[in-house]
Amino acid sequence: MSHGALEEAHYRFPPSSAYALNHCLYAIKSDRAFAERYLADSDAAVAEMRLSEGERTDLRRMDRDALVARGAHPYLVFMAGLRLKMLAEPGSLEYF
Amino acid sequence: MLVGAFAVAHTPQLLIRPETEDRALVLRVHAAMRRVKERLEALRPDVLAVIAGDHVEAFFLDAVPALAVYVGRECAGTFGPYRYRLDIHEPLARAIVEQGIERGFDLLYTQDAKLDYAFYVPLHFVMPEPARPIVPLHVNVYLPPQPTPARCHAWGQALGEILRARPERVALIASGGMSHFPGTDRYASPEFEYDRGLLEALAEGRGRELARVTGEELDKRGNIELRTWITLLGAVGDARADVYCYEPSWHHGNAVVEWPVGDPA
Repeated sequence: MSHGALEEAHYRFPPSSAYALNHCLYAIKSDRAFAERYLADSDAAVAEMRLSEGERTDLRRMDRDALVARGAHPYLVFMAGLRLKMLAEPGSLEYF
Repeated sequence: MLVGAFAVAHTPQLLIRPETEDRALVLRVHAAMRRVKERLEALRPDVLAVIAGDHVEAFFLDAVPALAVYVGRECAGTFGPYRYRLDIHEPLARAIVEQGIERGFDLLYTQDAKLDYAFYVPLHFVMPEPARPIVPLHVNVYLPPQPTPARCHAWGQALGEILRARPERVALIASGGMSHFPGTDRYASPEFEYDRGLLEALAEGRGRELARVTGEELDKRGNIELRTWITLLGAVGDARADVYCYEPSWHHGNAVVEWPVGDPA
């Protein structure tokens, strides 16, 4: 396996430089109380998360490509976004 | 003994449907899953062993196991408004850990990890009545480096041998697949033709060929979750797949498949 092939993979080794960012996405995805705080006031919710200003900006916009370029795991970006939508617009969903 | 083997899609839009999803397609997948439920009721398993890939729910970056077994009395999780709690068949779970390690597979076990929706979504639809206890079997699919397809297949072979030697009637269910690329720029363009080629091979009983695909190929084809299927294929050998459905949505190849495995009597 070449280094190049790894770099081109859709799902890559999560760099430790993006640990705080991935942890924040994980909290949005898996911690409902945190996701509710995030919806109410995203800046306050992420204040303790040690994110860079750029990470906060990309997160606020849920800018998938920018977040992934920073080392965010694509699945965490995807599901964090979906969970926020589920919380914000529960009436738009059909439950089975 | 092993009395049944199935693969079932688990995309969350099958459980919670946003307006973006074709309702008729979702209902067709539900119908295929209902066939699995009826089949399970006919096969009368004592326990369902479910192979799934955690979606960074039970295991975050504090510890990333390649292969894990949930051992304990019960397991629980949440997804949106769903709160689920399922009994674990502890004697079988413990036997799988002990015998798997004895056979050279360095399994992680947990008695306290959240159960991801990858386990729950199929069970929501296919759990026979009355409900059976489960054994959740985790294969890392989302956090690279994942176990190789060859390793998954070898673990599945060992798992099949362990299950066949047990007194319980066990149905094996692989959760996940087929092609999809969540969170990437390929989300709206999965590799449906690749999926169809795989299903043809599986219907011809050529499942062991999947042990030779590379991790890079699975990633390229949106099929990293097929590691759960490949694990199951190690257990079912050359059984021919009966494809209940293949329903490609705009972002996901939804498949429901059975491998008839031997005499269930």
